[in-house]
Amino acid sequence: MYKFTTLLLRGLVYLFLAALLLVTLTPIWLLIVNATRSTLEIQQGIGFWPSTHMLENYGILVGRGLNMPRGFVNSLFLSISVTIVSVYFSLLTAYALVVYDFPGKQFFYNFILVLVMLPMQLSIIGFYQYMSKLGLTDSYWALILPSIASAGSVFFGKQYLESVVIRDLIDAARIDGAGELGIFHRVMLPIASPGAFTMALFAFIASWNNFFTPFIVISSVEKYTLPMLVQTMRGDVYRTEYGSIYLGLALTIVPIIIIYALFSRYIVSGIAMGSVKE
Amino acid sequence: MQTLAKFRRNYYGFLFILPFVLAFLIFGLYPVYNTIALSFTNTTLMSSKAEFIGLKNFERLFADDVFLKAVGNTWLLWLLNFAPQIGIAMLLSVWFTNARLNIKGVGVWRALFFLPNLLMPAAVASLFFSLFSFFGPVNQFMVQNNFLPEAMHFLQNKTITRGLVVFIQWWMWFGNTVIILMAGMTSIPVALYEAAMVDGATATQMFRHITLPLLKPILVYIFVTSMVGGMQMFDIPYLLTDGRGAPSSSILTNNMLMYLKFSSSQGHIGAASSVGVMIFLMTSICSLAIFYFLRDKDSAQTRK
Repeated sequence: MYKFTTLLLRGLVYLFLAALLLVTLTPIWLLIVNATRSTLEIQQGIGFWPSTHMLENYGILVGRGLNMPRGFVNSLFLSISVTIVSVYFSLLTAYALVVYDFPGKQFFYNFILVLVMLPMQLSIIGFYQYMSKLGLTDSYWALILPSIASAGSVFFGKQYLESVVIRDLIDAARIDGAGELGIFHRVMLPIASPGAFTMALFAFIASWNNFFTPFIVISSVEKYTLPMLVQTMRGDVYRTEYGSIYLGLALTIVPIIIIYALFSRYIVSGIAMGSVKE
Repeated sequence: MQTLAKFRRNYYGFLFILPFVLAFLIFGLYPVYNTIALSFTNTTLMSSKAEFIGLKNFERLFADDVFLKAVGNTWLLWLLNFAPQIGIAMLLSVWFTNARLNIKGVGVWRALFFLPNLLMPAAVASLFFSLFSFFGPVNQFMVQNNFLPEAMHFLQNKTITRGLVVFIQWWMWFGNTVIILMAGMTSIPVALYEAAMVDGATATQMFRHITLPLLKPILVYIFVTSMVGGMQMFDIPYLLTDGRGAPSSSILTNNMLMYLKFSSSQGHIGAASSVGVMIFLMTSICSLAIFYFLRDKDSAQTRK
C-alpha cells in the first residue's frame, strides 16, 4: 500500500512536471520554428515543425534598413567590455574584503549588501542628465564605466574567494617579493578563474539582455544594441513580415541559449551560491 | 615593526576597493543625488532655464490619478506573479529534494525550467506580442480547435493583457526561485529530518516545523530581490503593447510613467525625477523594512 501510493504520487509529479515543461518551452519552440517559416505559412496556421525559409526571412529582415549584424556586433562589443570591467574590478574589491583588514571594512561590506537591495535603476534620470553634462550620452562609456561598481558581483566574488583563498600561498608569494597587485594578478586570478568565469557569464548575459539603460543613453541608430533593434522592429516596416520578425527575435535569443547549453552547470550553481549567505 | 608592515599591507585594501568606491560615487551615488535635486525643479531637456519649485512636482504627482494608478498596477502585476511563482517553486523544490519520491533527472528539469530567465526580456515581450496578435498562432490554435468562435484581439482586453504580463513574469522567474529554494533546502542538515522521523513526524509536520523556519532567510532574500525587481518592471509591459500601458493604462508601471515623462515632447526631467524619487523611496523602505523585520535573528547577532 505504501509502495502503491508512492508510485501513484510519483506518476502524478512526473505528469505535472511534463505539463510545466510544455508551458516553459512551447513559446521558445514556436519562436524558433516560426523563424524558419515563410510569412505565408505562418498566416496559414500554427505549425510545430521547422520549414525552409530562414534565408528568405533573413533577406527581408536586413533588407529594410534594420542593420541586424551591426546591432549584433554592438551588443557583443558592449557585453564583452562590461563583462571584463565588472569581473576584474569586482574580484579586486572582493579580494580586498577577503584578504586585508582595514578600518571600515565591515561597514563597506554591509553597504554593498544594502546596495543589492536598492532599486538603483530609478536614478536613471539624474544619471542621464549628469552624463549629458559630461558629454557621455550616446556613448558606450556611460554603459561600461558604471559596471566597475557592481555590488551583486562583488558579493558573489567575496563568497567565492572565501572558499578558495589560500593564505599560505599569498604569504609565500610575499616572501618571494611579489607586490600585492602582482599577487592578485598572478596568484589569485588563476585560482579564482572558475568563479570569475561564472561571474563573467552572468555579467555577459545581463548586459546582452539589458534594454532600459542603453535605451535611455544611446540615441544614434548605428550604436543601437540588439534589444533596441528588437524594439524598432515593432515599427511599421515589418508589420506583416511575421517570418522575419520571428527570425530577428530568434537571433537575439539563440546565442544565449547556446551559452546556456554549454555552461548551464556554472549558471545554475552560480544562482544557488549567490543566494546562500553566511 | 611587524605591525607597521601589516598596516602598510592593509593599506592595499583601501587601494583595491578604491575603483569601486569612485565608480559608485560618480555613477551610483551622484545620480541618486542629482535625481533628488532635479525632482525639486522644473527642468526640461528643451530649455536651459530651470527653477526651484519646491514640492510642486510631488503635489502634481499625487493630484494626478495616473501616478497612483501606475503604482497600483506595479504592485498588482508583481504580487500576482510572485504568489504563483513562490508557490510552484516551493512545490517543485519539495518534490525535487524528496528522497522517497526520488525524481529522476532533477538537474535537467531544473535547468530547463530556468531557461526563460536568461532570455532577453525585450525579445520575450515582442515574442508574446506576436504570439497573441490577431493573426498570431494562439488565435489560430484556438479557432482551429474550436476553443474560440473567431480570432480575438487579446491585447485590447485589460484582464488578458494584465494576465499576460503576469504570466510572462512568472514564466521567466519561477525556475530561478526553484534553484534558490533548493539550495536552501539542501543546506538543511539531514539529521534534523531523521530525528523528526524517529519521533514519528509526518511529511507535512516536517515541512512546517523544520523546512519553513530554516528556509526563512532564503525566503526573505527571494521576497526582497523579487520586489525590488518587480518595482522596476519595464521591458515586458513597455514592449508588450504600445509603450503607454494600453489598453487604457492597465499595464502602465512606475518605470514606464517615469520614462513617459522623460520622453515627452518637452522632456520634463524634473517631473520624471519626482516619479523616480517616489518609487525609490517606496521600494527602499519596503525592502529594508522586510529585511529588518524578517531577518534571521541569530545571524543578526553574529554579524556585529
